[in-house]
Amino acid sequence: MKKLIAVAALAALTVQGALAADIAAGAKLADAQCAACHGKDGKTPTDPTYPKIAGQYSDYLLKALNDYHKGLRKNPVMAAIAKPLSKSDMENLAAYFGSLPGPLTHRK
Amino acid sequence: MKRILLLLAAAVASAAQAQQPPAAGDAKAAEPYVSMCAGCHSIPGYQSSFPYVHRVPKIAGQSAGYIEAALRAYAKGERNHPTMTGLAKTLSDKQIADIAAYYAERGATAR
Repeated sequence: MKKLIAVAALAALTVQGALAADIAAGAKLADAQCAACHGKDGKTPTDPTYPKIAGQYSDYLLKALNDYHKGLRKNPVMAAIAKPLSKSDMENLAAYFGSLPGPLTHRK
Repeated sequence: MKRILLLLAAAVASAAQAQQPPAAGDAKAAEPYVSMCAGCHSIPGYQSSFPYVHRVPKIAGQSAGYIEAALRAYAKGERNHPTMTGLAKTLSDKQIADIAAYYAERGATAR
């Protein structure tokens, strides 16, 4: 019985590991690909028309990246950046920026 | 000579100012109609159910210029979401600028 529980626990951990995005990998990619425009902290964009992304919902960020990647959302800069990204790259980036503290709120 | 330099500097400064984007919107003027945004954007964790399930983005505290760009992109069809496209198409340029100003000043650090 103990062995069964151990196996089950291990299996659960593995599944979680496979689903969880790699925030550290996202951070590394973000420094190289995103910081120049969105700011190293994700909340100090270099142009007023660029969004603050630190602390935004990660599933929304992933949707945005996916849409740029597929050409469903049109922006020349983001299209060029998102096109070569893999699915896990996008998941890692979304998780990383979603995890950062930022100024975005739900205020009415 | 100094005066000429000074004049030149002033001219350059005003030229730089002239290149700034059009005057910021009037946050106060947006108050009567931001209720159309709050129903989705002001509810923590609210999910957009169609065409793709994800949480509706937080917009309070966002850059005004980006909010404007996003609304214009929806109105022009460069971005697609049934609700946002429908709403954005009804907005005037002034309303877009006013809404952008309204939400830009509502961030966690911009009180």
